[in-house]
Amino acid sequence: MKIALFSDIHANLPALEAFFKDLDTRKADAVYCLGDLVGYNIWPNEVIDEVRKRNIPTIAGNYDFGIGRSSDDCGCAYKTDDEKANGAVSISFTNQLVKDEQRRYLRTLPAHIKVEFQLNSDKLNLLLVHGSPRKINEYLFEDRDEKSLSRIMHDAEADIMCFGHTHKPYHRVLEINDAGTIRYRHAINIGSVGKPKDGNPQGGYVLLHLNDNSSISQKESIQVEFIRFNYDIEKAAKAVEDSPLPNAYAESLRKGI
Amino acid sequence: MKIVLFSDIHANLPAFEKALELIDGETPDMVFCLGDLVGYHIWPNEIISHIRRRGIATIGGNHDAKVKGLTGAQLAEPGKNYAYKIVTDENKEYLATLPAHIHLEFQINGSPLQMLLVHGSPKSNDEYLLQDKSEADFLAVFENANADILCFGHSHKPYYRVLDTGKEPRRFKHAINTGSIGKPKDGNPQGGFVVLTINHNDSKDTKEFINVNFVRFNYDIEKAAVAIENSPLPNDLADMLRKAY
Repeated sequence: MKIALFSDIHANLPALEAFFKDLDTRKADAVYCLGDLVGYNIWPNEVIDEVRKRNIPTIAGNYDFGIGRSSDDCGCAYKTDDEKANGAVSISFTNQLVKDEQRRYLRTLPAHIKVEFQLNSDKLNLLLVHGSPRKINEYLFEDRDEKSLSRIMHDAEADIMCFGHTHKPYHRVLEINDAGTIRYRHAINIGSVGKPKDGNPQGGYVLLHLNDNSSISQKESIQVEFIRFNYDIEKAAKAVEDSPLPNAYAESLRKGI
Repeated sequence: MKIVLFSDIHANLPAFEKALELIDGETPDMVFCLGDLVGYHIWPNEIISHIRRRGIATIGGNHDAKVKGLTGAQLAEPGKNYAYKIVTDENKEYLATLPAHIHLEFQINGSPLQMLLVHGSPKSNDEYLLQDKSEADFLAVFENANADILCFGHSHKPYYRVLDTGKEPRRFKHAINTGSIGKPKDGNPQGGFVVLTINHNDSKDTKEFINVNFVRFNYDIEKAAVAIENSPLPNDLADMLRKAY
């Protein structure tokens, strides 16, 4: 069983189209989208339409949550005054672009999806969230304290937790010693299709490999494959420059920052 | 948000192909399959292939869950087991890895709404949640499973029942049986699936904020019935398709 997981498209249609082209060669058995379809580029409606056309189970990202409610707050953690000013332009422009029907779709997206497996007479819970189980806009970075990450997963009853939001992909295996019994939790950041920030400007997504022997007690029985793909970055960057959006977002796309 | 839910295809390809055509026509936002892709008919691999190719999020039914565990001797028995024998090894692996539940948590009108998809019941893929279940027993199922909307199949008899807990904020519980694509048992031989619409606009939790539409469709029942008669499967399975029992 191969499960494809993608997120953080951020209105980047060339990246989404290249992603679907790549995905169609991988023969995934199920596909989930972990949110943030809109913001930062000019194609929010088109991205929503493409995801809907494929009937992909999708959860809301923080940007979707904001736009779905016509809010001027995307819940983004902008640090500098420049970032804040640029962010204000982006959400206002996105609110202007998004049409009623697409906004209604964003507003009714679920916040979480939990896929509960019963393999080897044991439970295996795959939890899909955008930021963290606690908050749609909480950043779970790779350097997060192991105890904290483990506690978040424990509280959410997640054996495998997939999330996006930071645009920086990683897979961390957390070892749990439960009175001598070793179990493993998997925390997987699936990266970003349309706005990567890990220094690699290629789009990214994850294929999760499970089989009927997958188990929380066997570390290697759950495999995570990070896929990166090329897309027409210049087209996406130029679209930003030719729009009211700040040029800094074009630069981010070119450099993957 | 428009969600299509279907289940209990039971290897009936003429029914499933017709259903897929109609599902596409609904232009749903999401599609889920609640299991029992196989059993009782000759096209299990074709059904699985359609579902995998489309990447439809699917949970395992009781038939799906048991296929890989059947022994060579069991598969060689005459009769119904022929329907499992013809499943390819790769597809047996796929069936054995299907999840048991999918749980979606919405934020509607400012509070969480829990939607749970199972095959039979939250407890077992082989338990029937029938329409005449007592209100108290049914409410206990929702309570134990932390569900506001519970969708399931397995009985092949579609229904929608609203239960009133009398308690806010999620006062009403919604039980939805998706019926069966390929082996209906409610006396109507047409295939069936569900189109569920979740509306966000209602300011409070009325019964009407979700809309449940049962689609029934004609398909080439004779083709499906004759295919059974021309196979090693028991002929009474063909009669069941014609009469829907």
